[in-house]
Amino acid sequence: MTVTPAVVEEEAPTKKGLSFKFPPEETEMGIIAGIIGAVIVIFTGLPAVIKGVGLILVLLWGMDSVRKTSKYGLGTGVPSIGVLSTGYGVVGALMGLAVAEYGRVGQLYPAVLLGVIVMGVIGLVSGAIANSEKFIAMKIPRLERGMMELGMAGTLAILLECSIVTGSLNFNAVVNQVMNTGIIALMFIFNCFAMLHPYNACLGADERRERTRMCGVEISGLVCVLLGFVQLALGTSPLWDSVSLIVFGAIIFAVFFWKFIKACMDECYETVGTGMIKTIE
Amino acid sequence: MPIEVVLLFAWMLVIAFLAFIACTFEDLESDIGSQSNPNSQVQLAAQVGQINRFFNKAISGEPLSNAMYCVTAGTIAWILLMQLEPLVPGEEWKAAVLAIPIGVLGAVAINMIFSTTSHCGRTAAMKRFEQPIYLDVLYGHLIPIGAHAFMTTFCITWIAYIQSNIGTLAGNPALDHPFALPLLCFVWGITVGSIGSSTGDVHYGTEREFQDRPFGEGKRVVYHGKITRYASCGVRTQKDIAGFCAKFGGPCTGMTFGLIILFTNWTTLVGMQLGGFLPNLPAFTAIGDMAAIWTIVLGLLIVAALAVGNLIFVKWVRKKCGPFVGV
Amino acid sequence: MEPVILLIVGYVVIGGLLACFAAHLLPVGGAPAAMGTATGIATGTVQIMLGAAMTGLFTAASVDTFTDSLLLVTLSGAVGATVMICVVMFMANIIYGFGAGIVPVSGRVDVDPITKEPQAPYKTPQCDGHGVPIVVFVSGSLGGFIGGFGGALMYYTLLNYANFSAGTAAIGAISIFVANAILAAYNIRGTIEGFHDPKFKRLPYALVASFAVSLLCGIVVSLTAILGGTL
Repeated sequence: MTVTPAVVEEEAPTKKGLSFKFPPEETEMGIIAGIIGAVIVIFTGLPAVIKGVGLILVLLWGMDSVRKTSKYGLGTGVPSIGVLSTGYGVVGALMGLAVAEYGRVGQLYPAVLLGVIVMGVIGLVSGAIANSEKFIAMKIPRLERGMMELGMAGTLAILLECSIVTGSLNFNAVVNQVMNTGIIALMFIFNCFAMLHPYNACLGADERRERTRMCGVEISGLVCVLLGFVQLALGTSPLWDSVSLIVFGAIIFAVFFWKFIKACMDECYETVGTGMIKTIE
Repeated sequence: MPIEVVLLFAWMLVIAFLAFIACTFEDLESDIGSQSNPNSQVQLAAQVGQINRFFNKAISGEPLSNAMYCVTAGTIAWILLMQLEPLVPGEEWKAAVLAIPIGVLGAVAINMIFSTTSHCGRTAAMKRFEQPIYLDVLYGHLIPIGAHAFMTTFCITWIAYIQSNIGTLAGNPALDHPFALPLLCFVWGITVGSIGSSTGDVHYGTEREFQDRPFGEGKRVVYHGKITRYASCGVRTQKDIAGFCAKFGGPCTGMTFGLIILFTNWTTLVGMQLGGFLPNLPAFTAIGDMAAIWTIVLGLLIVAALAVGNLIFVKWVRKKCGPFVGV
Repeated sequence: MEPVILLIVGYVVIGGLLACFAAHLLPVGGAPAAMGTATGIATGTVQIMLGAAMTGLFTAASVDTFTDSLLLVTLSGAVGATVMICVVMFMANIIYGFGAGIVPVSGRVDVDPITKEPQAPYKTPQCDGHGVPIVVFVSGSLGGFIGGFGGALMYYTLLNYANFSAGTAAIGAISIFVANAILAAYNIRGTIEGFHDPKFKRLPYALVASFAVSLLCGIVVSLTAILGGTL
């Protein structure tokens, strides 16, 4: 429950080598992550590492949307919008899984994207109502688009996670292996955190987008490690698949954790081993 | 009374006891890191020029963060239980004794990772207010945070384990809760966090952060951000805040969650007993309905008792303290 | 169209509307309440609403194992959530009283509408009330009851009409509940004391939003049930 500060122009990065610029702009990020994520969701036969890459992209997209909607101040803190996104995501994923069997070609499940589209529509409607002068009147620029993207990113992320864990998008398989075992709770909470934590943790007057995104990638790596262990325990895919996902996630996590902490320590006012506080008269 | 019924009530009391410990430590853990509500003052302090040596642990609100630790612990424990339970047929609890602490250790590692990123990230974003990152503050608080979080997550995971297996443990598997272990961890993680945030933060927020202001008044808006930065000896960090809150705020918060767990489980069990549902479990009959009615009636009685208790307490404290006399 | 689909959509909409309504009734003080600067429970709307609904959901799921009556399951969920919220408010008052020496007082009304006691003389200047006074306690208990009822209603609908498994029904109910509670929180913007608060008059706006979202979610859920083969 912290007060979100006013919008501040982003400063140019001061140190080289620690900037993380893939892809540079929010709209490009949305298009790239959306298309790659959608393609990876459809092809369920891909190895888990590729799905992990898709998951990282999609979560990064969600994180970007959280950042751009909540930097104007939501009035209830950053976390709420991440939870909203995941709540929509679970409903959309259920819908997508239910229609997955229709129009199925071998290991391809194109119909699953219907859930993503429906959630985009619901997000758009709720964003329009929340932003409209007649109703809640939040007056946040582009909230409609932000909520639509959040609904779509949340759904894609949950679908990708289901696809990683079960190896398919069969409704009954997902219900048995994800819902009834309670693994859905893990997906729910870590989706929330991968989207809301980076901006929440970097909130402040001198927040910088690249640094925030490093934190996002780091958490996504952690999610990959956990999902790899779940996959290993359920035994739904060959051993090398799970192990490669765990190794991939661990490397991503370690690299970006180091980069993020380094960036913070370089860019803050001063990093000191210890010291007294400034006296105020 | 048959032994199964006695065992059910005994396990319910164990759960309530664990809940008491869990929420006490949850409150202290959030106080050490200044998570949730008091965090807004730590965040504000640097902006009004009060450079401090507090740990800025901004991992969303407490409900979500605690749900995350508990779900992680529950999932890792569930994975290990699947591997270990076949090794000890008939005595599955032996697997849990090993699996749950390992799962909780994983959750604690994740807690410390998130604490590090949020402290560094928030402090780096306060560059223009000249708030430095003190490395000894960063390293020195991680272990106390992890230790307290271990106790919380450990107790919650045990609560979830006992509840998802309460029937098996008491001798009648049909009484197991329908939710799986990670989902129960999620439910109680959210609840323990929302209680720790709503009840426990008052004692740290009004009392400890503003200890140089008058006792017995709300903290006026002009005081906001001007937190007490000096301890009785030296510069204050949050390690001495845990010692202060452990005397009153923590146990009170623990009692809140303990009472909630006790009441919700107790009403269900007593309702089952009074409705004649135990020990034969004739589900979906008039007896089952009767048990549900008793559960609801008992719950409403507790609500009425709490409302009356609150009425008496508020009247008493108004009479005792009287109108505001300061300036 | 089968009547059971109408039932699913209808109950999900009712549950969503109740969740939104309950979020407005709960006394939420946020961070200012933890400083004793505002009246209410010292946390955010979504957080306390979720905590109460979870307790209600747990009780409802327990009761659902031995009865199949809609009314009994939802009522037990409502009572579970009420017990949670009442204990929290009572203990918060004890901490305000003994830990900080603050008298519970409402900041939005001069006279308590229920006990008719004066409020203004007890209030610290520059503050917006403290603690949980009687009228706020009543409002909060009502909010817990209604919110728990809504959550349990959605859980029961998804479990017994849409025939989802317990885990699916729980996570589906939580998701729809969360979306509605968050829309309500955006409408409240910060702190609210309960039904006597001027901000409570904004309720219809949130109800419209909640109705639209719940209706769409209800349709999605019933489509899921039909196409997923559980209906």
